[in-house]
Amino acid sequence: MFNNAMGLILADNKKISLGELSNPRALSAMPFGGRYRIIDFMLSNMVNSGVKNVGLLTYNKYKSLMDHTGTGGAWSLDRKNDGLHILPPYVNSEATNISSDEELTGVIDFLRQSRTPYVIVAGANVILNTTFDSFIKSHEESGADISVMYNRDGTKYGNPSYILDIDDDGFVRDMLYNPAKATSPKCSLGILCLRRDLLIDILARQMAHGQSHFGIHSIVKMFDEFKVHGFEYSGVVLRINSVQSYFNASMSLLTDSVRNDLFWSGKPIYTKVKDEAPTLYFDNAEMSDSIVSDGCRIYGKVESSVIFRSVTIAKNTTIKNCVIMQDVHISENCHLENVILDKNAFVRPGVRLVGHPDYPIVIGKGAGI
Amino acid sequence: MARTEVVAMILAGGQGSRLGVLTKTVAKPAVPFGSRYRIIDFPLSNCVNSGIEIVGVLTQYQPLALNTYVGNGHPWDLDRNNAGAYILPPFQSNSGSDWYKGTANAIYQNMSFIDDNDPEYVVILSGDHIYKMDYAAMLKAHIEKNADATIAVYEVPWDEAPRFGILNTKDDDVIEEFEEKPANPKSNLASMGVYIFTWSVLRQALIEDEANPNSNNDFGKNIVPNLLAQGKKLCAYRFAGYWKDVGTISSLWETNMDILDKPEEINLVDRSWKIFSRNPVKPSHFIGSGAKVKNSALTDGCRIFGDVEHSVLSESVIVEKGAIVKDCVLMPGVVVKEGAHIERCVIDQGTVIGKDVQAGSFVEGEGPYTNHKICSEGICVFERGLTIKEGAVIPKNSMIDSDLEVPEDCKIIESKFRA
Repeated sequence: MFNNAMGLILADNKKISLGELSNPRALSAMPFGGRYRIIDFMLSNMVNSGVKNVGLLTYNKYKSLMDHTGTGGAWSLDRKNDGLHILPPYVNSEATNISSDEELTGVIDFLRQSRTPYVIVAGANVILNTTFDSFIKSHEESGADISVMYNRDGTKYGNPSYILDIDDDGFVRDMLYNPAKATSPKCSLGILCLRRDLLIDILARQMAHGQSHFGIHSIVKMFDEFKVHGFEYSGVVLRINSVQSYFNASMSLLTDSVRNDLFWSGKPIYTKVKDEAPTLYFDNAEMSDSIVSDGCRIYGKVESSVIFRSVTIAKNTTIKNCVIMQDVHISENCHLENVILDKNAFVRPGVRLVGHPDYPIVIGKGAGI
Repeated sequence: MARTEVVAMILAGGQGSRLGVLTKTVAKPAVPFGSRYRIIDFPLSNCVNSGIEIVGVLTQYQPLALNTYVGNGHPWDLDRNNAGAYILPPFQSNSGSDWYKGTANAIYQNMSFIDDNDPEYVVILSGDHIYKMDYAAMLKAHIEKNADATIAVYEVPWDEAPRFGILNTKDDDVIEEFEEKPANPKSNLASMGVYIFTWSVLRQALIEDEANPNSNNDFGKNIVPNLLAQGKKLCAYRFAGYWKDVGTISSLWETNMDILDKPEEINLVDRSWKIFSRNPVKPSHFIGSGAKVKNSALTDGCRIFGDVEHSVLSESVIVEKGAIVKDCVLMPGVVVKEGAHIERCVIDQGTVIGKDVQAGSFVEGEGPYTNHKICSEGICVFERGLTIKEGAVIPKNSMIDSDLEVPEDCKIIESKFRA
């Protein structure tokens, strides 16, 4: 545990779209794993590391995110000093439209107000459960200006991918963006550690060069000018780059080793509490290999699925390989396979929907079938 | 800000000795209930949902778990600037110190807390019932009838009336007489232990009651009869919703089972009257392949690989492969090991049921742990934090208590957490 670092999380990623699923929300606000949003993992990693000051950098569709985080109480970040700060684009009342540099202005102001020597910067598309103690220690020991976390996923999660070429001393020599062929399995996790004053300098310079957005890998790319050190992470990492990888990541939670690493390693993942009732299983419920959250009522058959809060699955209905988000109602006599249902979707009786495991069907938020 | 209209006081200091080992180290209101809750969540949530924001929680017996649980009141939105949940333990003062001698004395000792908030009315609640009730509607009736006190009543079956405090009323539900557990009841209106008093009237009554050295300092036995004798206007307020006393092992078990058998009655999914609780930080529950889960209530953190039927499981319960859990109430963190078979067992927090243990209503006979005083209807109850030996056989109506001296060859407790 340390408190010499602050956190900065980029709440969205312009390079990643989850189609209909990301229409209503920023990537980090994407529901995941039954009762979480993607952001919960990185926020929890930060607070479990002793970080007490976290900025959430947003530029678009952040209502859902703000509903979720509130004042940060669920992560013990509702503090008098420091705490959780949502950083929407900085809009001056005299500005007629949001121009390129407002996003960075807000971040620089926020960074300047902090007192910690280090900043941990992270994106919105990786899910892992860790603390940053050894990352910071390695950063200090390596004498690097910037440290970047990576693992050996290569390009298997698809784009965007940032493949790192790292020399024997652990320093980054090259970085390839979406290479057709990976020259190395070392794939960046988009998690950085650097001194706060260095980050302020870099951002100020980027602004002066007319750069509009905060880009984590635009910082890694400065390996010619700064010493950028790689830190290998060997735990479970789920990358969310597409609908397909979201679906695969959800399904991987049904594997004991993945679940144990993400949820039972002694470092709790915090999320907004909902005070739902316990889930009730009725007479003919048949359950197998599934994650189920509170407030559900299960009368039918569920196999290899991830069920969020307050979902109803009526009798004579079979659910297989599905991700079913909060408040979805599935009526009697349905058969759903390889389907992702977004919040509040309603499936009428007798519906049969079968997607392919490599191409799940997505039902949008609030849709009626 | 407007004057505080009402302050609620929850009497949470009682031991609840009829719950046996479940209340050995915690007060009854802190006993886990219904998979996600503690008993005190019900009165606390009722207060908040009724718009009462100043809630005093009077603790005395084993208050640690309760104090930690209620904390700053945040889970119930009772961490307001000028209101909230206040834990009120007995205290020392210039004139000496005293334990709470009875329910009325507990309120008497905290008169200055109520005076500081200067309410018009005081709601007195107990921490041992499961129900959802709008105290605001009751207060409205109290004000409309211009009553000095209003007592919530529940129509119980006539044959059960002798077990309750019974209120005899005349027209318009004005109370004439209070009888504690009458052999020949004249009415079937049982007191629910929910009182609303006009504070000035109660304040005076508490002072008079305290001055009487022969008083039991009890609301039912002393305050209510004294007010009646003084000719004050006491009204009954009829409540018709779900209401259950969970003061005994069998009623606690039965009320848990009601969540499964009559989910519409207590209706925990009603979003307009949520029961709030301190949420565990645990992932959604997981049901493995080969598991069977039927007619059961589960919550976060549970991991099920065996058979669970007609049972209520609290957070982080593990049921291993080949284990059979039927008609049970498993409290947070209970582990049922491979091949164990338990029926009608109420198991307190963190107890581990060893491999191939047979326990509960289906095991005939008697053993050293048999306890007909606490247990009935075949129900077994287990103390918290125990590890039960592999292959142990525990007959129905047993209370597994680590303090009970048993012959060496009858020992079934392998270890005890924080012994």
